[in-house]
Amino acid sequence: MRAFNAELSKLFSLPGIWLAFLIGAFAPAVIAALDSTAQKEKIIAGVSTRLSEVGYIGLGLGVQGVIILGVLAVSSEYLTESSESGGGNQITTSLTVVSSRFHFLLAKASAVTVISILLSIVAILTTVSATNLILGEYAPAFEASRLIGAVCYWIFTALLAFGITVLTKNGIIPLAVLMINSSVVTVSYLLAKVTKLAFYLPDKAGVDMFMFTSDSFHTPFTGGLIMFAWVAVLFIVAAIVFHRRDVTS
Amino acid sequence: MSVSSSRKITLILGAELEKLVTLPLVWLTLMGTFILNIVLAAAFISAGLQGAAGTQSILKIGLASMGYLQAGFIILGILATCSEYTGGQIRTTLTTIPWRGFQLSTKHLALAIVTIPMAFIIAASGVLYAFIMMRDTALVIEIDAIIKILVGATGYLTLTTLLSAAIGVLLRRTTPALVVLLGHYFIVSPLLRDFLPGIKNYFPDTAGYYMYMPPSSDDINVLTPMQGTGVLMLWTLIFITVAIVSYRKRDA
Repeated sequence: MRAFNAELSKLFSLPGIWLAFLIGAFAPAVIAALDSTAQKEKIIAGVSTRLSEVGYIGLGLGVQGVIILGVLAVSSEYLTESSESGGGNQITTSLTVVSSRFHFLLAKASAVTVISILLSIVAILTTVSATNLILGEYAPAFEASRLIGAVCYWIFTALLAFGITVLTKNGIIPLAVLMINSSVVTVSYLLAKVTKLAFYLPDKAGVDMFMFTSDSFHTPFTGGLIMFAWVAVLFIVAAIVFHRRDVTS
Repeated sequence: MSVSSSRKITLILGAELEKLVTLPLVWLTLMGTFILNIVLAAAFISAGLQGAAGTQSILKIGLASMGYLQAGFIILGILATCSEYTGGQIRTTLTTIPWRGFQLSTKHLALAIVTIPMAFIIAASGVLYAFIMMRDTALVIEIDAIIKILVGATGYLTLTTLLSAAIGVLLRRTTPALVVLLGHYFIVSPLLRDFLPGIKNYFPDTAGYYMYMPPSSDDINVLTPMQGTGVLMLWTLIFITVAIVSYRKRDA
C-alpha cells in the first residue's frame, strides 16, 4: 500500500502528466463537440447513419491522454539525468526502496489503473455534457453499459502502453506506435481489410466494447475479453522480462 | 584563433553531421521506418490487388503508406534537436560554437543532408515494391512522372523533418514535442479536414500532401504541387525562424 502511494505521488509530480490530464479530460469532449456540430443537421432531420457513434467517437479517439500516462509512468523511471546532476537513474532508487520487482510493477500498474479510471470518468462527464449542450434534445441517451465499456477501453489502453514501455524502456516507440494506431485511420483498420485476423488486434477488439458500427466484428463482451487477454499476456511477458533484466543495462 | 568564415561553416557543418550520424536512435528510427514502410506497402498492395484490378495506379498505392511513414521522419527531426537537451550536451555545443543562430541553421542544414537521401530511398522503395508486385495488373506509367512524384515525396518528408526539428527546439523535451506533432498529424488534422474544409489546404500536412499525390480530377479546391510546396515551405521557415529567435534569447 505504501508502494502504491509512493507510485501515485511519483506520477502526480511528473511534469508531463499535466499534459496527459489536459488531453485526457478535454480532447474527447472537443472531438465529440466537433463531430456533433458536423452531424447536427442530419441528426435533426433524422437521416444520420452515425447516431450510435455520436459522443463515443470522442471517447474512442481521445485515449491519447491515458497512452501518455501509461508511457510516462515507466519511461520517466528510465530517464537518465544529466551528468551535471549525477547521471542518476530513478529506477535504481525505486528498486532499492521497493526491492521486490513484482511488487514494484504491481504498485505502478495499480496507480496507472486508478488514474485512468478517474480520467475516463472525467472525460465521460465532459463528453456527455458537450454532446448534450450541442445537440440538446436530440442527443442520444448514453447507456451505462457502453460507458463502462469505454472506461475499460481506456484502462486497457493505458496498461498496454505501460506494458510495452516496460519492454522498450524508452518512451518514443510506444508513444509513436500507439498514438498512430489510435488515430482516425488506424493501421489495424487497414490490416482488417487484408486479413480477418486483424479484428483480434487489441485496439480493434477493444473498440467494439462501446462503438457499435456496421463493421463491428465482436460483441462488446468478447471484444473486451480479447483486449484483456492481450493486456494479460503483455503483462506476464513484461513481468518476466523486468524480473530477469539488469536494470542498469 | 581567427578562422575565415567559409572554413567556419564547413567546421560547424561537419560537427553537426558527426553528431547526427553518431546518434544510435537516428539509425534505429530510419531502419524501423524502412521496415514499417515495406510492411504497410505490402498490406496496401494486397488490398489493392483484391480490389478492382487494372484501375489502380501504382504510384497511388506505392505512396499510400506515406501517411504513416511521416511519423518516422517526425521522430527523426525531434531526436536531432532534443538529443542536445538530454544531459548537458547543449552547453558543450554552445561553448564550442558560440554563434547560436548560425549553429541552429547549420543543424537544420545537416539534418536536411541526412534526410534527403533517406527519404528518397524509403519513398522509392514503396513505389518500387508496388511496381514489382502490380506490373501485370496496373496501368503503365511513364518514368518521368514517377521521378516528379518521388521528388515531391522526398521534399515533403524533408520539410516535415525540418519542421519537427524546429518544434523540438522550441519545446526542448522529446515527449511533449512528440505528443504535439503526432497529435496534430494523426488526430487533429484528419478531424479538422472533415469539419473545416475551407482552410484545410493551408495546414502543413494537407498542403504538403499535394506535393506527392497524383492529381485526381474529382477533387475540388486542390493546390498544385508548387502551391503545396510553397505553403509547406512557408510553415517550415516560420517555425525555424521562431525557433532561432527564441533559441538566441533563451537561457540554455
